[in-house]
Amino acid sequence: MRKERTADNCRPYKLAHQILSLTGISFERKSIIGFVELTVVPLRDSLRHIKLNAKQCRIYRVSLNETYEAHFQYFDPFLDICQGDANTRALESFNTHHLAAALKVDPDNSAGELVVTIPSEAAHLIAEGTALRVGIEFSLEQPQGGIHFVVHPGDGTPAERGVHLYTYGHQNSSRLWFPCVDSYAEPCTWKLEFTVDENMTAVSNGDLTEVVFTPDMRRKTFHYSLTIPTCAPNISLAVGPFEIYVDPYMHEVTHFCLPQLLPLLKTTTTFMHEAFEFYEETLANRYPYSCYKQVFVDEVDEDYASYATMSILNTNLLHSAVIIDQVYATRRAMAQAIAEQFFGCFISMQNWSDMWLPKGISQYLCGLYAKKCFGNNEYRDFVRTTLMEVVKYEEEFGGIVLDPSQPPAPLPSSGSAPGSSSHAQQVETNFYFSIKNLHTMSPTYIEVLHKKSLLVMRMLEHRIGLELLLQVFNKQLSLASNASGQKIGSGLWGHMLISTNVFSKAIFTVTGKDMKVFIDQWVRTGGHAKFHLTSVFNRKRNTIELEIRQDATTQIGIKKYVGPLLVTLQELDGTFKHNLQIENTVVKSDITCHSKSRRNKKKKIPLCTGEEVDMDLSAMDDSPVLWIRLDPEMTLLRSVVIEQPDYQWQYQLRHERDVTAQMEAILALERYPTPATRLALTDTIENEQCFFKVRCKAAHCLTKVANAMITWAGPPAMLAIFRKLFGSFAAPHIIRQNSFQNFQHYFIQKTIPVAMAGLRNVHGICPPEVIRFLLDLFKYNDNTKNRYSDNYYRACLVEALGCTVTPVVALQKGNITFESLSTDTKLVLEEITRILNLEKSLPCYKYTVTVACLKAIRKLQKFGHLPSSPTLFKSYAAYGLFIDVRLAALECLVDFVRVDGKWQDLQNILDLVENDPDPGLRHKLVKLLIMNPPFDRAHRHRLDVPDLVDRIWMNINGMLSHDTRLRCDLVDLYYKLYGSRRPFCVPVAELAGLLKPQKEEDRRKSHFNEKRTMSPLPPPPKHHQPDPIPEEMEMDIAKEPAIKEEDLFSAEPKMEFFKSVKQEYYSDNSVSLPGLMGQGGPVGFEPGMFKKEDGGSKHKSADPTKVKKKKKDKKKHKHKHKHKHEHKHKEKKEKDKDPNKIKVKEEETLSSVSSTPSPTPHSLSSAEIL
Amino acid sequence: MEKLEQTTSPHRKLLTAAVSSVLLSHGFDSSDWDVLETLTEMLQCFFCEIGQSSKNYCELSGRTEPLIADVILGFVEMGINFTQLSEFIKQHKLQVLPTLQPQQQPKQLNMLQAGTKQPLPSHIPQHLPSFPDPHSYIRTPTHKQPVIDYEAIREKCAIQKRDVEKALTKFLAKTSQTHNLFENDEFIFPLITCKTEFPPYLNALMPQDQIFDAEDLEYKTEEINPPPKKRVKTEKSETKTEGDGEEEVVEEPPEEIEDPNKVDENSSPVVDIDNPYLAATKLPNKS
Repeated sequence: MRKERTADNCRPYKLAHQILSLTGISFERKSIIGFVELTVVPLRDSLRHIKLNAKQCRIYRVSLNETYEAHFQYFDPFLDICQGDANTRALESFNTHHLAAALKVDPDNSAGELVVTIPSEAAHLIAEGTALRVGIEFSLEQPQGGIHFVVHPGDGTPAERGVHLYTYGHQNSSRLWFPCVDSYAEPCTWKLEFTVDENMTAVSNGDLTEVVFTPDMRRKTFHYSLTIPTCAPNISLAVGPFEIYVDPYMHEVTHFCLPQLLPLLKTTTTFMHEAFEFYEETLANRYPYSCYKQVFVDEVDEDYASYATMSILNTNLLHSAVIIDQVYATRRAMAQAIAEQFFGCFISMQNWSDMWLPKGISQYLCGLYAKKCFGNNEYRDFVRTTLMEVVKYEEEFGGIVLDPSQPPAPLPSSGSAPGSSSHAQQVETNFYFSIKNLHTMSPTYIEVLHKKSLLVMRMLEHRIGLELLLQVFNKQLSLASNASGQKIGSGLWGHMLISTNVFSKAIFTVTGKDMKVFIDQWVRTGGHAKFHLTSVFNRKRNTIELEIRQDATTQIGIKKYVGPLLVTLQELDGTFKHNLQIENTVVKSDITCHSKSRRNKKKKIPLCTGEEVDMDLSAMDDSPVLWIRLDPEMTLLRSVVIEQPDYQWQYQLRHERDVTAQMEAILALERYPTPATRLALTDTIENEQCFFKVRCKAAHCLTKVANAMITWAGPPAMLAIFRKLFGSFAAPHIIRQNSFQNFQHYFIQKTIPVAMAGLRNVHGICPPEVIRFLLDLFKYNDNTKNRYSDNYYRACLVEALGCTVTPVVALQKGNITFESLSTDTKLVLEEITRILNLEKSLPCYKYTVTVACLKAIRKLQKFGHLPSSPTLFKSYAAYGLFIDVRLAALECLVDFVRVDGKWQDLQNILDLVENDPDPGLRHKLVKLLIMNPPFDRAHRHRLDVPDLVDRIWMNINGMLSHDTRLRCDLVDLYYKLYGSRRPFCVPVAELAGLLKPQKEEDRRKSHFNEKRTMSPLPPPPKHHQPDPIPEEMEMDIAKEPAIKEEDLFSAEPKMEFFKSVKQEYYSDNSVSLPGLMGQGGPVGFEPGMFKKEDGGSKHKSADPTKVKKKKKDKKKHKHKHKHKHEHKHKEKKEKDKDPNKIKVKEEETLSSVSSTPSPTPHSLSSAEIL
Repeated sequence: MEKLEQTTSPHRKLLTAAVSSVLLSHGFDSSDWDVLETLTEMLQCFFCEIGQSSKNYCELSGRTEPLIADVILGFVEMGINFTQLSEFIKQHKLQVLPTLQPQQQPKQLNMLQAGTKQPLPSHIPQHLPSFPDPHSYIRTPTHKQPVIDYEAIREKCAIQKRDVEKALTKFLAKTSQTHNLFENDEFIFPLITCKTEFPPYLNALMPQDQIFDAEDLEYKTEEINPPPKKRVKTEKSETKTEGDGEEEVVEEPPEEIEDPNKVDENSSPVVDIDNPYLAATKLPNKS
């Protein structure tokens, strides 16, 4: 079934070439005038409609072969997602509408916002295999998404102010800045032209062929040509007064940065060529493109975004050589961007659901590079952290299905497999968003999905071996580069797309191994395994009786695992591996021990690495097993709970060489606050051989252990270690002058103060000597002789000061004054204010210290040492401050809102979410709100008011059509606050009763219900209304076009529904139907279709407020005036949206439909009447 | 000559004695001190005058030491008849004055002596002056030793730094707008307000909190001049010939030129590198 219909063959035409020309780029007006020409090759003679993707664009003209003008229609369902269901506030029903809306314009569903009708006089142009050129003139005014103008206020020319623009987007969002087929599966060649001011540089995809002055010599045009077939989402543009730096090692690579940052750019990119070399060597394949460009821009929402031959990176990744911490993130981002050139840009995907492949492969490659760059320990720790994140997310929200396009084949052999797969499907529907479309998925889900892809790719490495896996990659690349040289006629461009099936076939070809089971188990099914291991030593038989349980398989995100599982036993005589076969939820296995217990003897114990170490075995019981590990190589997606006595964990921490094992041991040892644990942790912190992250983790663990221990002898934990490591020779209580040459020590030096600050004495407060110690660190901090900046270290010290703060004992209820502070708090506060003030005149790199200060002040407020007030944070959250500072201030504000905030404060935050000029900040702010929501679900709270429901709802329902990610972020937030049912605080209208049963039916996926939810309430037929405000510019639109659109709209969504939900129902004509509909006749009858005719006007008065909210089109205005219910936001929105409207008559949007939720019958009938 | 003015000077004493003996020879038994002094003064002035003019005459004639003739001229100058001088010597039996006694060196007062003088070492002859008081050549501890103790220095350094910072922040806080952490209390822990600045990333990425050496701000690359990678470039030409390569033919030739400027690439990578972004903008008619 899937073979027949994939994203690359669902369209009735192929795209051969596309010209994109942007001429009028104006930074003052934030507008763009442009032209695109798509060379389309129809696949059948009967092609009547060409559906393209375009959003926000004002389209002036569509021409065919430059001779015929074509009619076109435009609509955007995201402008009002819950069409008829305006009063619902439940995510359950929103979810359905959301998916419907997304499918209505999904290019992979052969749909689009822009429908070009081929006029009858041009019908002769259409012939199978004959190229047709579709030219579209369009403009963008103040685009809200997709392309970002960074125009800082200030004096000077635009170039001096660093004014620039760049494209960005969530997944496939190129439609936001030019009309295209916004699909990953429609590659074509490109010609790109950008006319910009003389002092600007336009960076885009492909080879820069020439730069030509315009005749007036004040602007120049950059001509790019991209001869390798590329899909539209991989097209990008950045324009700005960039400084240009050609990589000295590879002249094909050019770096761009904003003015004045050139020295940083040079430093940052010093080692970038190594990543290139690494990938080329690893893949045994040349870099597929002829050039590569890196552009560092401001206000970008992700650290990197990779497009064909170029990547757009965050300017805040830049650093000089005196910065340590940033280097790791920056190198990884740059390496990942390059890896995505190979997989992601050059090799695209056949369906979006194959996204896990390019993402997984590129991340896997980047991981290999990071392993080379930062070491194996770092790599293993990274894998472990990633695994834990995936596990955490899945256990909270449900199993992630990497490729949901196809259900896993039911396993015939084992009875439990079908159960697990059906379970997985169940899980899949449990999400509060739809995982069937990229534009409805939660951004967090996508993020975790990417992580999971990496892990699955790594699992594949374990299954088939690194060499062979690389060969598979190599094969894909070779095929693709072969195809990329061909013309479209060769039909080989499909080789440039990767899919789950293609990939598993490639594996089979290369290795001879059939990966179907693996793919079904880990790619097409969500969830991970969870093992619980207990063991008992049987002295008589000298065996260890293992029991591995999978108890939690019914829990969310967890599935039953069947297959081999590796258990490693470290015994006195060495490491022994046992491969157990897991078949049931409980597996018991008796393993004979290889060694006899030798009590209290010191002996050389051989480890798995082959080395022999002395161990003090006095702590041991009579079992010869030192420790047990389950799946030590992380070859499964699993979480593991191992129960073993504390001394085994201590042995594992001390002697196991694997970083992951050490980390796990540390985690487990938190539960055993004993002197032996203390000693093991202390030794680990002091152990120079140990990986620094383990040492840092041990420090934090020791904090918890120390706090939990009843008696603690000696000075505060870690004080001695710190003095030993960092105290000066002559006076150990004074820290040495900073020298961060040894990075391990650097990180430990940063960590220990924070860990110590977490110590608490019997009264639950931080011991005064720890505070003294910290203040001394401030006092004696001397970085004059250091070759590295100490800004992160100072930030850690401030953070540590913040950590010492404990809730104030509530003595007096009244005003908090200076006098009421304790001495220690005064000292802490004095230090923080001094440092914060000093930062004003001597700012450090990325204001790390300011960030830490703000958080510390919030903590002081929260714990009652300072009056809780948002004013300080508000000023730091203003636009124009550095992004990190703003985010820190917003974090404090969000926290404030939760604890003490008033409705007004929350509104301020929501204002930022809606209107902040920085798109990245909006997204991150919602993330902050989700992490620390203003209130908990179903707990009565002063902020839990209907206004909030409406405000968020308004945004997700229609205000954010241009920003998928923010919309889905807000859906996340909404879910966090209210769950997927109707919020409690919203008074249940009489509709609620009506909606309830629907919801349940929805869940049963009855398409009839879907229909009902879409048009359940016949609203006022707009045609019956006289237009009271004739000045509306589109007022003169004839009814006919409106009707057409409505046809289109109403017919399409329904058809899509049938298609998606019940494929067999309408599958045959699903593609051609819209075309027919466009000509204006009803094609099918649907329940309730003609309901409206009689009840229309009546309904109008009964119409609930929300119904009118649809802001889709010009008609909107009319309605607004007619009904006072229009929301205030709406008005603003409408104004914003005006540019979206297309002037041409035919281009009427769907709005009419949306404003009248059940227009179909009416419009159809009126069409007939006409 | 100036020395004569002192009454205690031996010359004056001698003159007084001479005057006294002349007086005795003229039959005076005694004389008042004032008279004697006056006469002595007169005699002294006379001698001075004679000496002065004799010297002048001597220098006038180009000599440095006066002869008897100069003295005579001096007498003549003053209008004194010196012929009577020999008569005077013969007529009066003049008492011969006692020779001048070498004056006793006044004893040094030991009260101010500091320390004990060092005796001269044996190799130094005894006639040479003895050592001065030891304090004049041996360093004496007149003040407290400067502290070189590590701990104290660090302490001092830290305090100094802190004082400077405190003073600076205090000043800044007083001269700019502030937030206050406590309501109604502006003076306790004032926080300077933050200012927006555009572009916001500049100060954050190029911090000024510390001054580093220029070379520290860049990575030291061991292999400073590696041969630029040509592999990809050849690849490029390959793909170009495969695809539609005519547009970029311009880029090919400079490939050879690269090698000579490999060396100074790092200093000025701009000049000859074959990169389309470095190429000159074409004029409109060319297109």
